[in-house]
Amino acid sequence: MGRGSEEGRAMMRLRPKLVALFAVLLLVGAACGGDDEDGAETGATGATTGTTGAPEGEPIKIGISLPLTGDFSQPGGAAEQGYRIWESLTNEAGGLLGRPVELVILDDASSQDTVVADYNRLISEDDVDLLLGTFSSLLNIPASAVAERNQMVYVEPAGGSPDLFDDGYEFLFFAQQATAPHQADLFVEWVLSLPEDQRPTTAAYPSQDDPFALPVIESLRDQLTDAGIENVYETVYPPDTTNFDTIAADIQNSGAELVAQGAVFEDGVGLVRSFQRIGYNPQVLFQTSAPSNSDQYAEGIGAENTEGVFYAVSWHQDTATPQNAEFVAAYDAAYGGIPAEDAADAFAAAQVLQAAVEAVGDLDQVAIKDYLHANAVDTVLGPLSWDETGAPQGQFLLAQWQGDQAEIVAPAEVATSETIVHPKPEWAS
Amino acid sequence: MTHLLQTVLLGLLIGGVYALLASGLTLIFGVMRIINVAHGVFLVLAALFTFELWRRFGIDPLLAVVITTPVMFAIGWVVYRGLIARIRTAPVSMSVLLTFALAITIEGIMGMTWKNVFRSVTPGYFNESFHVGPFFVPKPLLFGFGMAVVVLLALYLLLTRTWAGRAIRSASENPEGAQLVGVDIRAVAALTFAVGIATTGGGGSVLSVLYAFFPASHYVWISRLLGIVVLGGMGSIPGAVVGALLLGVAEALTIGYVSPRWGVAVFYVVILVVLLVRPRGLMGTRLREDVAA
Repeated sequence: MGRGSEEGRAMMRLRPKLVALFAVLLLVGAACGGDDEDGAETGATGATTGTTGAPEGEPIKIGISLPLTGDFSQPGGAAEQGYRIWESLTNEAGGLLGRPVELVILDDASSQDTVVADYNRLISEDDVDLLLGTFSSLLNIPASAVAERNQMVYVEPAGGSPDLFDDGYEFLFFAQQATAPHQADLFVEWVLSLPEDQRPTTAAYPSQDDPFALPVIESLRDQLTDAGIENVYETVYPPDTTNFDTIAADIQNSGAELVAQGAVFEDGVGLVRSFQRIGYNPQVLFQTSAPSNSDQYAEGIGAENTEGVFYAVSWHQDTATPQNAEFVAAYDAAYGGIPAEDAADAFAAAQVLQAAVEAVGDLDQVAIKDYLHANAVDTVLGPLSWDETGAPQGQFLLAQWQGDQAEIVAPAEVATSETIVHPKPEWAS
Repeated sequence: MTHLLQTVLLGLLIGGVYALLASGLTLIFGVMRIINVAHGVFLVLAALFTFELWRRFGIDPLLAVVITTPVMFAIGWVVYRGLIARIRTAPVSMSVLLTFALAITIEGIMGMTWKNVFRSVTPGYFNESFHVGPFFVPKPLLFGFGMAVVVLLALYLLLTRTWAGRAIRSASENPEGAQLVGVDIRAVAALTFAVGIATTGGGGSVLSVLYAFFPASHYVWISRLLGIVVLGGMGSIPGAVVGALLLGVAEALTIGYVSPRWGVAVFYVVILVVLLVRPRGLMGTRLREDVAA
């Protein structure tokens, strides 16, 4: 699952929760004495440490706080798996700088306060040698401030909100290919590469009001509009929108040939279901992250209806990137099945730290961050490089559903399928 | 004009579904003065049961109600006896705290049992519509509306034509009097709570076909349902039906003619306006009698 999808979904869960609370408090009035009702705050901070000895010497301790409970627990759990796989593969392969690595993972219960306490504790009490990041922009923003203050390199696997890179931190690095506004760049390239007679001339841009979906769609809309594709419909809807029939009918009436939706998950499924019900089939359908939730997406709209849907993604299990096959096999052995994208992103963050430490040859934080600012690093996601704020400078992969599964169709060097389905076939039902 | 009529039609259909989802919530409040914040979580639980019946045994989600309704009734009974009964005499605010805790607990259990992944129930008609002239009527929405009519009618008959229903009504109108003539108030309370939760059987079935859902989906629903019962008048089932239809249409019109951005906000604006202008809601003036009337 994509950073955008997971994070957006988790935030979406949080917002209605707060609204619900608000409504309830209104109803109950001031008499109500409860002040500790927020589910996000439940769950104690617990520590788990794992050691897999093989190499020699004192282990290198790497401190991480993850949302293992609370709103972000699903992606947080996947990220933990990715980190653990990296730990065991690295120790099997001789460790880091010849020493074993030991992850110290704390649970921040998806709370911004706890994540700050956790990283402070990791640095001052647990004396960890290195840090790795947590999940979501929401948690990475406060956590990266702790790391920066302590002058420790902070590579984070999931937090692409532009806000993270506004403070000019030197020790922060985002270990994915691109921030939100550049996620759909390869899709734009593909659309514009189509011969004139096959290229859509009109487009509709519905998007959830989500910090990861909306910037993708806005940037996509601007690029396509500049290239002469007429914008015939756009709208932004709130996260807990469930009613898509009216939006679908309006898009149908607009006559859009291309639909690009900023879709987190339910909204992506909801709009496609509505399209099917009203019998409207766009020539090209792009959704930001909903289609990356493979089985859940196929279940939601019907597997036979997925054919031809595009989305942007950071990782695919079949791409020939460094250590990818090894990662996928080790994951399957340890947890069974194909890793979630969040697990792969965590693995990549650890690869980034590992590559920099090995290149520098010791644990000098300043040298490590200087190395990362100056060099690209190969990961399971492909090569990553950063600007002076730690924002990545690459492109997300362009994926398309083909024959009941997701394929990478661009860029060519990592593509898993050489064909691109166009125009999108009719809905199956 | 076609667009307007189509929008109102969709709004009425979804409003009927909202009425079904809200009926148990308002029933429980009317009789017991308990704001059951866990109502949404019971809906999702029923949707998950529906999902299992559909996936494992191929039972159509609309038929699954025959199984899920008694199951939810039993769960409601147990929850009342084990938990809610203990705060019978406490202020209303306690019920909010307790049921909120209950909601979080059940959400956690559902997360462990079914994982935090989205589930969808997709029988053959889930993405189909009837086309009538220039209009389309989504089949799952129409069937959901039908389910709402059936469940609400059953609830009406239960409350007006059976001894248990009369006991529930008398307990809500005049607890002391009811006790004097031999109504066991505690048993009636348990029965009411169980019946209220049993309505989530039908609600969950409709929910499972209309939307992809996962354990935390209940937050979205409880916020809306509270808006509906506040508009209709807390405790009034006819009020909930009227409130649900009004809000369904208001939501659809807002999405169609103002902006989808404000579609969801309608529910919360209504809560504020009702509390400011008419705190008892549309049909809340005869609150106690309205429970069953």
